Amino acid sequence: MNRKNKMITYIVSLFFACMFLCSVMHQDQEFSVSERRPLKDFPSVTLSQIQSGRFMTEFEDYVLDQFPFRDSFRSIKAWIEQYVFRKKNNNDIYVESGYAAEMVYPMNEVSMKNASKVFRSIYDTYLKDSGSNVYFSMIPDKNYFLAGEDGQLTIDYSIFMDQMKDEMSYMTYIDITDTLSIEDYYRTDSHWRQETLPDTAEGISRQMGSSITGKYDVLELERPFRGVYSGQWALPLEEDSIVCLTNSIIDRYHVYDFENDRQIPVYNMDKAEGNDMYETYLSGSLSLITISNPEINTKKELILFRDSFGSSIAPLLAEGYSKVTLIDIRYIPWQRLDQFVDFNHKDVLFLYSTALLNHNEIR
Amino acid sequence: MLFSSITFLYYFLPVVLFLYYLLPGSLKNLWLLLASLFFYGWGEPVFVLWMILAIVLAYIAGILIETYKKSTKGRWIFILAVAGSVGYLGVFKYADFFMLNLNQLTGMNLPLPGIGLPIGISFYTFQIISYLVDVYRGDAGAKKNIISFALYISMFPQLIAGPIVRYTDIEKQLDHRQIHFYHFGNGISRFVLGLSKKVLLANPLGEFCEIVKGSSDLSVAYLWLYGICYALHIYFDFSGYSDMAIGLGKMLGFHFIENFNYPYISGSISEFWRRWHMSLGSWFRDYVYIPLGGNRVPMGRFCFNIFIVWFLTGFWHGAGWNFILWGLYFGVLLVIEKFWLGGYLKRARIWNHIYVLFFIVISFVIFDGTDSGRLVYYLKAMFGGAGLPVISKELLYYLRHYGLLILTACGASLPYGKKIYMRVKESFRDNKLFEVAESMGILILLLIVTAYLVDGSFNPFLYFRF
Repeated sequence: MNRKNKMITYIVSLFFACMFLCSVMHQDQEFSVSERRPLKDFPSVTLSQIQSGRFMTEFEDYVLDQFPFRDSFRSIKAWIEQYVFRKKNNNDIYVESGYAAEMVYPMNEVSMKNASKVFRSIYDTYLKDSGSNVYFSMIPDKNYFLAGEDGQLTIDYSIFMDQMKDEMSYMTYIDITDTLSIEDYYRTDSHWRQETLPDTAEGISRQMGSSITGKYDVLELERPFRGVYSGQWALPLEEDSIVCLTNSIIDRYHVYDFENDRQIPVYNMDKAEGNDMYETYLSGSLSLITISNPEINTKKELILFRDSFGSSIAPLLAEGYSKVTLIDIRYIPWQRLDQFVDFNHKDVLFLYSTALLNHNEIR
Repeated sequence: MLFSSITFLYYFLPVVLFLYYLLPGSLKNLWLLLASLFFYGWGEPVFVLWMILAIVLAYIAGILIETYKKSTKGRWIFILAVAGSVGYLGVFKYADFFMLNLNQLTGMNLPLPGIGLPIGISFYTFQIISYLVDVYRGDAGAKKNIISFALYISMFPQLIAGPIVRYTDIEKQLDHRQIHFYHFGNGISRFVLGLSKKVLLANPLGEFCEIVKGSSDLSVAYLWLYGICYALHIYFDFSGYSDMAIGLGKMLGFHFIENFNYPYISGSISEFWRRWHMSLGSWFRDYVYIPLGGNRVPMGRFCFNIFIVWFLTGFWHGAGWNFILWGLYFGVLLVIEKFWLGGYLKRARIWNHIYVLFFIVISFVIFDGTDSGRLVYYLKAMFGGAGLPVISKELLYYLRHYGLLILTACGASLPYGKKIYMRVKESFRDNKLFEVAESMGILILLLIVTAYLVDGSFNPFLYFRF
């Protein structure tokens, strides 16, 4: 008994001492690649910070973020959850058939109402009497395809979509669910893969009275793509790759970023070296950009109200228009849009993912 | 500071232990006191001053009570000191509750004081009161050394969530304690086991309970599962904390009393309370119930004593009507057992356990029912009175998600696992390999707990609010 307690004393004391020294000597990291977020710095030490208790709270966050071997510890936890407690998800992420997805549950009716209210306001303010053709479409998130197979908890998509369609009945609905399957999405990320989208883009274009070539050259980036769920899942997942579709029309697009007042490439290879490779498509989250297509004779223009899914499909849709204006109302107040955009006699498409509509991001 | 935090485990504890063992015996108490004040001040930077004030006043009161022990003056000093301690607790913990109820009763609109609740106030105030009573009764001498006295009140292992350590139990250890490998290693094991209870079982069960409370897909079975999981959650949360406190005490050379003894195997509610939060139960028994006359009184007086004790027990747990109801609920059950059910329960073999678990689950639904509207709805729904379906989609999902965890928790709340382990251990007596495996087991548990702490954010201790 004594021998065992001696052993425990030595082993655990040594472990504590090692971890303490590692924690103290560990060089602080600025960014967590796996979680795609900046890590906390050592908090400032002032009397008011200490009195209010803010220093202590921030210090606790700091040590959690900067703990040595943090990612390995997160993997241990994920492994225990998955293989010992046999949990159905880890931090709301689950993997089915090699595809990682985030649970979308429960159905958030407030979020849906908020989004449809904003869309209605935009419609009433800019589109109602503009002579424009207004369309609405929803991109199903990965749960739509995966959740049923594994008995995951998920929203009832038919109710969700019907409810949204009812709310948006003043727009023409474009159903794209039949052109999509789980293979059209990345294994490790929430987004769809551009190389699988020509059918979907063609379907949308056709319903808006436009057309696209559907013929592309494929440019696959060398660096493997580890999407947002790789880090959150914390266990090994098969990597994805980013593929860009090009052709002679897409190559001649002029893309302008109003937010930063600059020309940007359709596929930004600097972003391909960054933390989120999906930002390669149209440089990621930007509030207002235009794609001008000098290769087309028509004067038709498209205004695309979109989330991040729009970045990868917009270059394909732009083949059928002289100009596409992409607006992300999460980053620009919609009330100011008339300063930048002419809404008269355009095709207008509201294209949003179901996950975003359920997540109260548009209000 | 939480025991189950990286700051405590990998910064505070190594530094405190290292210096504690490095310093000579005469400075150990001072170092431990400073560390304890830092520990408390980390979470409560302002309230640490109030605690120091309470300690100083109790220290002076103790000396004065002893000096004027058998005189009227001594009695008045004692009454004043105890009333002051109760008042101190009352102001910080119950002022808002009293004011709110006064407003509701009279229709007035007096502003609520909004005084923050210092963590652990109920625990250290009860330790102060027990000290004052023991000195007044002559069961203990007043502590002359203020550092030792302050250490008794503020010692970080048991400061904020117990066990409630009596002065008489620890008096000698404050000045003379022996530290041995056996105790230290034993303390580490106990601490890590407590930490594992908290992090691996209590936290996820608590998460599940929060999910149910936020659910829009409730069902009768879902609510019963919530009740069961809340009962398990609170047990592992609180007994885990007690294990950690006892383990830390051992690492520092102290021996604190046990606080839990597998309460869910009880065959009656009275047995349950002999196994659950034992330090609180014995405190109320010795300082309230017996002074009121205990059970050697006529039936009416006995019932009165029981209801006073259980009213106070409930109220001690929180400034809310649900806590009072929770306390009185046990008072009623204990009276029923005393006069009617006790004999049946002794003879029963299985039904007594079902009876206990049934009423315990209900009791913890009441305990968690700080929102009275929701509490009434839940209780009604659990018995089919709210028109909810028997099962729901969410229930089935979470049953599969948390199923193994719930089964593990149920198993760990019973003593059989420990009994089997002790038998195996006995058969491997003096086997070095088995001892290495045991030691590595503790290390692996610590690694796993660290992994959960690094990844998780859901980590509150329930009993901090008491």
